[in-house]
Amino acid sequence: MKFIKKTIPLLIVLVVGVLTLASYYVPHKYSVDYLELMNKWENIVSAFAFLLGLISLFYTHYSKISRKVDGWGYSIFVYIGFFAMVIPAIVCHGKQMSDTGQTALGWAFGFIYNPLSATMFAVLAFYIVSTAYRSFRIKSPQAFVLFLAAFILILGKVPLGQIIWHSALGWTGQGVDQVIEWIMSVPAVAGKRGIMIGIAIGAVVTSLKIIFGIEKQYMGKD
Amino acid sequence: MIKNKALHLIFVSLLTAGTAAAAPSPSGGKAGMVPAAYSINGFTAADMPYDVGGAALLRWLASPSDSADTVYQVFVSTLAAGGWIKADEFPSSAKTGKDMDLPFWAWDGHKAEHAVKVEFNNTYGDIPPGTKFQVRVDALRDGKLLAQSAALPVAPRGNWFRLDRLNNLVLLIVIVVIFFWAVSHAKRKGLFIRRIAGLDAIDEAIGRATEMGKPIYYVPGIGGMSSISTIASAFILGEVSKKVAQYDSYIKIPHYDPIVMTVCKEVVKQSYLEAGRPDSYRDDLNFFVSQDQFSYAASVDGMISREQPAAVFFMGYFMAESLLMAEVGATNGAIQIAGTDSESQLPFFFTACDYTLIGEELYAAGAYLSKEPMLLSALKVQDFGKLVVMVSVFFGIIAVAIGAKMHWDSFVQVILNLFKAY
Repeated sequence: MKFIKKTIPLLIVLVVGVLTLASYYVPHKYSVDYLELMNKWENIVSAFAFLLGLISLFYTHYSKISRKVDGWGYSIFVYIGFFAMVIPAIVCHGKQMSDTGQTALGWAFGFIYNPLSATMFAVLAFYIVSTAYRSFRIKSPQAFVLFLAAFILILGKVPLGQIIWHSALGWTGQGVDQVIEWIMSVPAVAGKRGIMIGIAIGAVVTSLKIIFGIEKQYMGKD
Repeated sequence: MIKNKALHLIFVSLLTAGTAAAAPSPSGGKAGMVPAAYSINGFTAADMPYDVGGAALLRWLASPSDSADTVYQVFVSTLAAGGWIKADEFPSSAKTGKDMDLPFWAWDGHKAEHAVKVEFNNTYGDIPPGTKFQVRVDALRDGKLLAQSAALPVAPRGNWFRLDRLNNLVLLIVIVVIFFWAVSHAKRKGLFIRRIAGLDAIDEAIGRATEMGKPIYYVPGIGGMSSISTIASAFILGEVSKKVAQYDSYIKIPHYDPIVMTVCKEVVKQSYLEAGRPDSYRDDLNFFVSQDQFSYAASVDGMISREQPAAVFFMGYFMAESLLMAEVGATNGAIQIAGTDSESQLPFFFTACDYTLIGEELYAAGAYLSKEPMLLSALKVQDFGKLVVMVSVFFGIIAVAIGAKMHWDSFVQVILNLFKAY
């Protein structure tokens, strides 16, 4: 049983992992075909997995409605929203435009989905303000550095801020634009590159752990 | 009179012949007569090395007569004669042997030659293996043909090794060797691992949720299962859910990707089993929300606002929705621990969460929490990798700076080639 549940899956991971890794160094058509095949398999698995996701979604919200938990009314909108998009999609054969103009699916996208999505994205602006307010409450030396960098950037981006800079620090001969450019291209890039190098090395080691079966928690432990 | 007419005819004939020789069709038609003073020497056509098999490498010597207005045109054909199609055009100062983007160990190019990669796929689309092509180069000045090379046959073929990526392969082999050394070393001795505050706070967060009788939310982000950060997130989820099971608390995991949901179900189930609480496990702890970024964020925000969890974990790959969710969690007073390798989202997590795991700490978290020697040993490999990078950067800067100052161009080129990805 352990052979089927553990050994075979680990062997598949090892073989597929090594082949995929090798394909980076082998430019032959076999290698390209292999990668294309893997992508196709991934797409097929994703399609079937999406069905599982849909079942999970319906089951979760059905149980919320049937148990009348707090906010169960919102769950009804899941079904309404689902049918509001799926029925026009079936009727219009998945096309948003036809010879006669916009289809029902196109209308649903244009007047339901897109405004809702844009609204959600727009909320981000308000959250950025509230987050900035919280981070500007200086509680540590690191928070002070963050505040200082953010404050200079705000000054540089607002015309009034530029006037203040010139009147207060104009004697230094350094424009706020130059200071911003230095912050963005020297300390910010240095920090970012450090993080990216760490991420790249971590990704390599994590991949090796999975390929060689050191990390196998995703399939349960012995 | 007759003599004058004959002289006139001879003059006109010579003029016509001269014009015909100087201005044949430059657009790849039949080869015309060319001046003898200019020629394309040493023209060769071979399969392009280190590629999938759809390109040829053309080389010829740069002519001393080349001037700023000399242009080369490369023609290709699938026929034995004629059918020429222009594949490339460039000035004589471009595409020398030195300009080829290959390292010194895989390419010996000189400034005194031209080297051109001709990709047949761009001209003919997908080409069947073994297709033979004819190639030719024309040199032109002011639209007039100066010289034309002989037409050469070439049959591109797929290669078996990217010699230009040898530096990458050597580094990989070194890392693999050290990886296995570290793993075997870990079996004999314990390793010191520095404390990671964000991971130490997991117990505190779960304990708080248990005391308050509120749920814990674990958000695995919007990455697919092929994303390393999502895989790392699944490992962390295993340890977090084990602790949740031990504390008899309650965890909810909303998903963006159905495949991730399926994997996480197995992980959580296994954790509950290991914690000795299989009876507490429910299949709906993991549930699918939406595969649309903002729908997912809106749904998670709604759940956090309504249920007011005591602790929220954001572990995995995030984009713009990071702040949308983290800010709602912070407003509701939850202890928030985040971890992502998406460096553009890290500032948002820093400001909105109590603890943030930066990039590699996310990858290390699973090993850190499980405390398994085999997994912990892999962290040593990460440290080794960072050491290699630090030493390379330090000595690389010094070597390149000295090389540039002393005008050791070849030396600088060697250093740059060694650390470049091809």
